[in-house]
Amino acid sequence: MKCVRLCQILVFFLIIITLLAGCARKDEKVVTFSVGGAPNELEFWEVLITQFEDQTGIKVDILRQPTDTDQRRQGLVISLKSKKSNPDVFLMDVAWIAQFAASNWLAGLDDYAGEDSIGRGVFFEKVMDLADRYKGALIALPVYIDGGLLYYRKDLLEKYGIKAPPETWKELIEYSLRIQGDIRKTNPDFYGFVWQGAQYEGLVCNFLEFAVSNEGGINFEGDKILLNTPENIEAVKLMNELITKYKISPPSTFTEMKEEEVRAYFELGNALFERNWPYAWSLHQHQDSLVRDKVGIAKLPHFKSGKSVSTLGGWHIGISKYSDVKGLSWEFVKFVTSYNIQKRLAMELGWNPGRVDVYGDRDVLGKLPHFAGLRNVFENAHPRPLLPYYTQISEVLQRYINAVLAGALSPEAALLVAEKEAQKIVERYK
Amino acid sequence: MLKDINKIRNYRELREAYSFLLPLIVFILAFILLPVAGAIFTSLFKDISFLEKKFIFFENYKYLFKDPGFWQAFRFTMLFLIVSVPLEMIFGLLFAVILNQSIPFRGCLRACVLIPWAIPAAISARTWELIYNYHYGLANFLFMKLGLTNAPINWLGSNLGAFSSLVISDVWKTTPFVAIILLAGLQAIPVELHAQARVDRANFLQRFYKITLPLLKPVLIVALLFRTIDALRIFDLVYVLTMGGPGGVTTSFSMYGYRYFLAGDFGYGSSVSVVLFIIALGLSIFYVRIGKWGKEVI
Repeated sequence: MKCVRLCQILVFFLIIITLLAGCARKDEKVVTFSVGGAPNELEFWEVLITQFEDQTGIKVDILRQPTDTDQRRQGLVISLKSKKSNPDVFLMDVAWIAQFAASNWLAGLDDYAGEDSIGRGVFFEKVMDLADRYKGALIALPVYIDGGLLYYRKDLLEKYGIKAPPETWKELIEYSLRIQGDIRKTNPDFYGFVWQGAQYEGLVCNFLEFAVSNEGGINFEGDKILLNTPENIEAVKLMNELITKYKISPPSTFTEMKEEEVRAYFELGNALFERNWPYAWSLHQHQDSLVRDKVGIAKLPHFKSGKSVSTLGGWHIGISKYSDVKGLSWEFVKFVTSYNIQKRLAMELGWNPGRVDVYGDRDVLGKLPHFAGLRNVFENAHPRPLLPYYTQISEVLQRYINAVLAGALSPEAALLVAEKEAQKIVERYK
Repeated sequence: MLKDINKIRNYRELREAYSFLLPLIVFILAFILLPVAGAIFTSLFKDISFLEKKFIFFENYKYLFKDPGFWQAFRFTMLFLIVSVPLEMIFGLLFAVILNQSIPFRGCLRACVLIPWAIPAAISARTWELIYNYHYGLANFLFMKLGLTNAPINWLGSNLGAFSSLVISDVWKTTPFVAIILLAGLQAIPVELHAQARVDRANFLQRFYKITLPLLKPVLIVALLFRTIDALRIFDLVYVLTMGGPGGVTTSFSMYGYRYFLAGDFGYGSSVSVVLFIIALGLSIFYVRIGKWGKEVI
């Protein structure tokens, strides 16, 4: 009797193990595409996939990921580290392509691209060279591109007799102070300039725009990382002074302000200037937006000696090295980066395509006239350092710059320690 | 002859007992012991996704103990543990004692107290994020309405503010858990003991200290153990509320390790997990020892 029971238990386990093994087995003909984002974005991808399936007969499974960039990355790192054959195709943030490429997780695309003549001149060349080629090999293609922009209230600048958006940070401060003082009488929540200052990756993107526009930034001298430079100190000091001295940025800048918080704040009509990515444009023009038709976009301001800079962002598509359907996956990559789909990406989601040729499209310019100016911004966007260990350096910078914004450290002290810690990271990972 | 039969019977009983335990043992082996062993094993390697894998013995730990980031995370997590867990125990005990009295609407009250515990941590963290919000948060609204402050306060903006906000949110969320465990413990205490004590004219406080507390001790230790381990690995609340800010002062142990996993430094990330595991194990053994000691005294 008892032996029978033991057998029953064993059989039960065998069944479970077989079931689990069955789940892991994959139909050879299916391409698994891992993508995350807001609900409307995922819906859009599903529509695209249906179209792709109808056109080619190749089946695509969508592996839904969260919106949060870190969580999307986490999911991919786990699959790739354990050499899993799915997902086959996925989107990567430009900030971590270098890590994926250096880890040898991405399939080389040259063999495929050669046949389909993805020639030069179709995509943003500079972006391709920075992010999509690793040691000479093509490993990804840009799906959409981002760069920091200055949004401003056209109506308010006009009302106060200011003809053009600010060219320098000094002008931005001056305009903000002038207009903010007046509007605060009726709206105490009004601030001159909102930007991303919370402790996360966005803070480093903002920092680079301040620092590089002062001829600073994250630079290297051989193996030595340079953070503690007079230019960077001046930039971080200005970031702090926007909050503490001029008070044109809200005190919550360093605790709450990320992209969406900044966008919402500006959209409520509570700010004169906003630093954000291009995605905010369509949302500002949305029916519910209080600043509809009152917004203009311009290049970000710069220091007296430097020139305007936007940090390069965006998402790129690549194929896993462990995929067992690389040929079919390439068909999907080709489809996503084709002219028609890239155009739809712009028309339906308001995203900025990775293809340069779409920016000249008549329909696109008709619906999104600001695209004409964006092309120039993206062509000159400043990348974050393309290092496999960039995240670790960014983490150090986030902590110390955020501490300066919080008033816990002086810019000099913060950058001094940040440089030391970053140097240790460089030595650990080089 | 009889001995042999007993032996066989024993053997059969043993076999039956083990066959019942088997699923549990397999489960613990597969999902707890193996991963822990795996983490310890990985922590001995330089296992960085974009560099060559190399056995380096304790190098990761050496680097870890010299890293100021590690000590900052260690300090924050320990401080968080020391402040939040006692508060949770005190409030939990208080709630449990109150809910154990025969008061009107007792069932309803018990359900209400449980609500915070039933809400997923990430969602309650979002709720608290809205309460602490600088521009339209409930906290600032109340403080300004009550005239406690003229200008809004940036709750998450100072070291003390961010720390206390995290503690308050955590205490709010997990006190019900402690309360419910202690309530079960209270109900297991025989009513006769209290009745007898009343006959002996012991007042409420005397009964509480001489009867309730000693008998509750094993349950208290269990609640303490659970809360300590949970506080040690705090992640979701910090991730949503402060992201480790301002300036990294609220980076918890788990967040610190998590970042290394994201960056592809699996060896180092594992060594952080192993250190956390050793601390949790040490504290657990310590608590279990106290529990035993308590029993011997009684």
